[in-house]
Amino acid sequence: MEFPAALFPSYFGAGPPREEGGPAPAAGWGEHGQVLEGGPGRRQAQQAFVPRRGATGERWEAADAAAVPVLLPSAGCWIPSPAPQDIVYRSGLCKKLRAGKSGATLDFAKQLGHFFVDHPEDAFGSLGQLLHKNFYLGNSKLKRPARNSTIRMTALVEDIDRLEARRGCPRQHLASRLRWFSHLCRDWLFEVPLGLLADCLHEELMQQWSNLLFDDSLTGGALAWLPPDDGGTSVGRLVHPGGQAMNHLYFQDVMLEELPRARGFPAQFELSGRIRQVAAARVDGEDFVGVRSDYHCGVWRVPGRTGAAPIPLQVIRTDMPASCLTVSPHLPGELSVCTQSGTVYLWSVETGLQQLRHDAQTMFFRDHSPWRWSDFTAHPRVLSCADRTGLQCLDARAPKKCHFDLFKVGEEAGCQRGERVVLPMYLGRAHPSQYLVTTQFSVYVLDERLPLVPVLKWAHMMKAPPLFAHLMPGSPGRSHQVLLGASRTQELLLLQYRGNFWDVSSGGNQSACQLAGTPQKLHSIAGCLQHLPTQLPHRQHLLQQRLTAPAAGLAAALQEDGPHKSMLVFQLSEAGDVFCQRLTHKAAQAPAPPSRDEATTAPGSSPLFEAPASSPQGLAAALRYRRWLRALSRSFREPARHTWHPSLSQRRLFTRRDLEGPAGPSSLQRQMHQRLRQAMREGVLIQRWEPLAVQPPPLPQTLEPAGGPDPLSARLTAAWAGDWEQWWEERTSFSVAQRQRALRERRRRQKRARGHQSLSASFTSSLTYQSELSELSDAGPALLSPGRPPTLSQDGSPPAGSPAVHSPPTSPAPEEALLSSQSLRCRGIPKERRKTLRDYLSVLAEGAPEPPEPPGSQASQLCIPSQSQLSSASQPRRKRPRMGF
Amino acid sequence: SSHEYKLNFRKSKEACLSYIQDALLQKQWKRAAEFLTCYVESLEKDYSREHVGPSEMIWRIGTEILWHHSQSSMKDFNCFMEQMKTLGVKRYLKVCLEHVFHLLCNGQIDEAYQNLSLAESWRFGEQTAIQDKEMKLIEAYRGLLDYYSWSKQKNVLLEHSEDGFSDLAVEREMHSYFRKAAVNLKEIIKIPGVWDVFVKCYVDLLEFYGDHNEARQVLNEYAYNSKFPANPNAHVYLYQFLKRQGESKKSLISALKILHDIVPSHELMIDFNTMLQKSKKRKKRRLGLEVIFAVLDYAGWKENAKAWSCLARQVKKIVTSEKHLDWIKQEWNSRKDWWPAFHFSRYLAKRNWQENRSLSYEKALVAGILLGKDCKYFKYVSHQGCKAQLKRFRMLKKFVNRHNPVYLRISG
Repeated sequence: MEFPAALFPSYFGAGPPREEGGPAPAAGWGEHGQVLEGGPGRRQAQQAFVPRRGATGERWEAADAAAVPVLLPSAGCWIPSPAPQDIVYRSGLCKKLRAGKSGATLDFAKQLGHFFVDHPEDAFGSLGQLLHKNFYLGNSKLKRPARNSTIRMTALVEDIDRLEARRGCPRQHLASRLRWFSHLCRDWLFEVPLGLLADCLHEELMQQWSNLLFDDSLTGGALAWLPPDDGGTSVGRLVHPGGQAMNHLYFQDVMLEELPRARGFPAQFELSGRIRQVAAARVDGEDFVGVRSDYHCGVWRVPGRTGAAPIPLQVIRTDMPASCLTVSPHLPGELSVCTQSGTVYLWSVETGLQQLRHDAQTMFFRDHSPWRWSDFTAHPRVLSCADRTGLQCLDARAPKKCHFDLFKVGEEAGCQRGERVVLPMYLGRAHPSQYLVTTQFSVYVLDERLPLVPVLKWAHMMKAPPLFAHLMPGSPGRSHQVLLGASRTQELLLLQYRGNFWDVSSGGNQSACQLAGTPQKLHSIAGCLQHLPTQLPHRQHLLQQRLTAPAAGLAAALQEDGPHKSMLVFQLSEAGDVFCQRLTHKAAQAPAPPSRDEATTAPGSSPLFEAPASSPQGLAAALRYRRWLRALSRSFREPARHTWHPSLSQRRLFTRRDLEGPAGPSSLQRQMHQRLRQAMREGVLIQRWEPLAVQPPPLPQTLEPAGGPDPLSARLTAAWAGDWEQWWEERTSFSVAQRQRALRERRRRQKRARGHQSLSASFTSSLTYQSELSELSDAGPALLSPGRPPTLSQDGSPPAGSPAVHSPPTSPAPEEALLSSQSLRCRGIPKERRKTLRDYLSVLAEGAPEPPEPPGSQASQLCIPSQSQLSSASQPRRKRPRMGF
Repeated sequence: SSHEYKLNFRKSKEACLSYIQDALLQKQWKRAAEFLTCYVESLEKDYSREHVGPSEMIWRIGTEILWHHSQSSMKDFNCFMEQMKTLGVKRYLKVCLEHVFHLLCNGQIDEAYQNLSLAESWRFGEQTAIQDKEMKLIEAYRGLLDYYSWSKQKNVLLEHSEDGFSDLAVEREMHSYFRKAAVNLKEIIKIPGVWDVFVKCYVDLLEFYGDHNEARQVLNEYAYNSKFPANPNAHVYLYQFLKRQGESKKSLISALKILHDIVPSHELMIDFNTMLQKSKKRKKRRLGLEVIFAVLDYAGWKENAKAWSCLARQVKKIVTSEKHLDWIKQEWNSRKDWWPAFHFSRYLAKRNWQENRSLSYEKALVAGILLGKDCKYFKYVSHQGCKAQLKRFRMLKKFVNRHNPVYLRISG
């Protein structure tokens, strides 16, 4: 364990950080930091220098285009944690966040309302029972004797409903009845005093909100990989939480193949709280697994032999939520625990808890965060304690006397203003005296033999603070890999550093710690979304929600197969999904042709599904995905079968009076609906829109000769005379002649109009397009008056050649009424369906006998105007009045 | 609308930056370079008030790309750096330094020296504190390069003097290098910091010219000034200097004692222990035991055969002489609850036996004395040793059995 003979030069200052704070997007690039003499050409005439950052590192390349699920999704649906829109007042969130202000307006009133509605018994239990006789919720008037002791609440409820509809309206104060009522009963109606309840709720809301901004309870991550024995088997164990409330602990055997594969059933333990952290360390060939939930911590022992069952050892309960649990890499059954009250314990399974420190204040300067952390150091009796301001090491044998500062957020480490410790980690497996500290801006490597001065510092540029870290120690002389993971953004970053390795024979070259290679971004779980086949919209939404759930843990396994080395990186999401990706080690230091890696990882390409047959591994990944998706969709469906259907009371949506509304036109509508539905079911055309011929349609009265006698009396006369049959003959032939005449007349009119057709047709169709456009984009009152859609104009002489001619113009058929967008809107047909319906009907109408025009082009014009029409559409629109329409 | 333009411009700038970032993190240098050419436009309308402006980002990103791009050359890099130097006054020195570092790492020492001299003569109004620090570093690195030239000349001169003739011109040049180096190196090591390289070079210069007092003073200052960080190397350099000077055992021991207090796990502690064991004074031998016990507390020394043999030798000496058993008892008291699991578990016995027999021999001796002949570690190793018919282990077994009462006294 030698100390490097010379360290990189650096200044050392004391005091608070001087550098300006804030995230800097490119701060980690393009800097060597410092240089030091050394490297291969040392004893030659020419001096050689090595940089602190920018040395060549190992090449690790992603084997797949995306991370692949390791385990099938657990049955039972996942309950996503609250999103900002759940607790923030309306759209205040985006506005506030965009303005860069931290304070969002929390929707306090809504949450309080939820409480009253969801827990009425708790809120108004006793007084509700006492008073329920005196409150009346019906519509009818109260009878005389009852009126003395009963209040009718209907009006009040209506007022509340109205208030809900007017949210955000400045004239809210008009609800005087409500104010009066609340004044009257604010003090006695509630079971829990309102002020107290509001305080508690507010506190909870603030808590939820700060968790949304940054949830530090996940620090350390809830995923652990127990590597296989040295015996050479390739079966390791994945320890992860699962279940609906993430309160089940699983020990799953995983076979390391091309794609890691779960083997057999997992050992499962049900715990009494949500699992926040899973920590593991191997001591004397046995794994010790510590599990932290808010108020309980437990420890399991996993014997080294494969297949041996994990043994629960001990559980402790804490009064304050625990914020940290780490397992000693030195001594079996030793752990360190921190609670939010600022207490640090050394927990030994044999001797119990030993309190090392109790201090509610932070160490170096005041910070409000109750988060504490603790880890082990090179000395098994010396533990590090951390809060947001720095790290201290204390000796468990004399914690009050023996301690020293290891890291301070300040000028000593060259920190920025506002920088805070996010995760400390002991790097003992790579170097016994080195330490990793991450902040929201940078990562530091510290050597406990040279406290306060980081031996390495690098701005990691991650969008969210790295809450998870995993170390993959390299063999002596090789670089170590550190994986950093963020929670909310699921970011994964691979860093390499070369430490002063310790296990070399004396006289070995001891170089100072340096960062090797460039940092590398790994696939996140959500990254696979673009490669997955398109789903139905709601499925897609659920899938997206599931895959973008915040990350909850990180683990990695090294797999050495002769000369081939690869790294498997596991990532756990809050939904309990474990995804994995393989990185293969490229032995060559020379830069590979860059075109290759750029081609494989270019955005938009999805080799996972487009060409799965090209490589067997791609095929396996695709198969894995299919199985996972199938299992997931099954779990989506499940709750619908078992759980209670939410039902809506109609009475709350509509008052009875609303429901009693105009029933007149609906009978026709209903018929139409029925016919439409029937036609769709049978796949037939609806030729005409007349109501079903229950009785023959009355002959049009207008076709009667104007000056003739009353038809009834004529018929009666004829019948009386006995030549009724003849009368009928005459009458029908007359009507036919009448009709023919009328038809001829109309054709003539149309012919006359056709002179303008070339021009007007293009206008109308362009207008059609415009009206649809304006509807689709919901631009409100466009230049066209919405009440008079030009294609469907109802007046007797529509522009000839327009698509509307499909329907007989002389008789305002129900079709027209149905088709007009306004009428469609009135009938509550959603905007996006209106067009479909119209298209459908227009296509159907082609089969109708009436239209004499060539049909094909017309129909297509109705839906999609061709390019020329589009271009002509913009200009003549304004000229419409002048053209005489 | 100009406000909107600004906003949109800012947005597109941010988008571009995130594309670049994405490409860099995936090692797609070509793609990043293409995006960077677009990003350069952001220099035109730079309304940002962030502390890292676009010009700095272009410098950083461009440098990173040029380091890795398959088609970039040193010429391109130098050209880019020259442009970056003109882009921001505040950053001039920083860019110069980084440029020099890159030249140094690529073996272009002379170019680096020229750049350092240029940067040193740069003046621009009043300097900020950071610029002051950077200037000091530039001077120090120039001093370092001067030192390397000096030592090269020195080697030439030494070779010549072996041949029997002296070269006045070379000697004069060497002295001028000395003066230049000494001035600059002396400056930087006054400021609190980690200056291992500079201190070493400066002390080497002083020693060559026989200024031992100054060298001692520099090293003492570097090691004991409380404004400097507790750098173990400072004490190591002082110790090595004292050793070179042939100082007395006492001063060497006191130098190492301080190192022991700061870093009990330092590798010099083995030397320290041997030195103390040889001492005739009881107090020092006592300290030696303390030192070696403390060394073995650390995980890094767990399997170090040399450290274990030191402890085994001293323990054996104490046990055979039957004097100062209380020393062992005191040291053992604070360790008896965790050393057995930490060092003497059955698992470790097995593994040590397989991997390193001499280590397991030393450890078994210590375990047998501290924990008695029934200790798991001792039992396993001695059993294996006897099975393998190794004389050493049979002797060990005998020795431990004979001195088993000692264990009772220690643990009692």
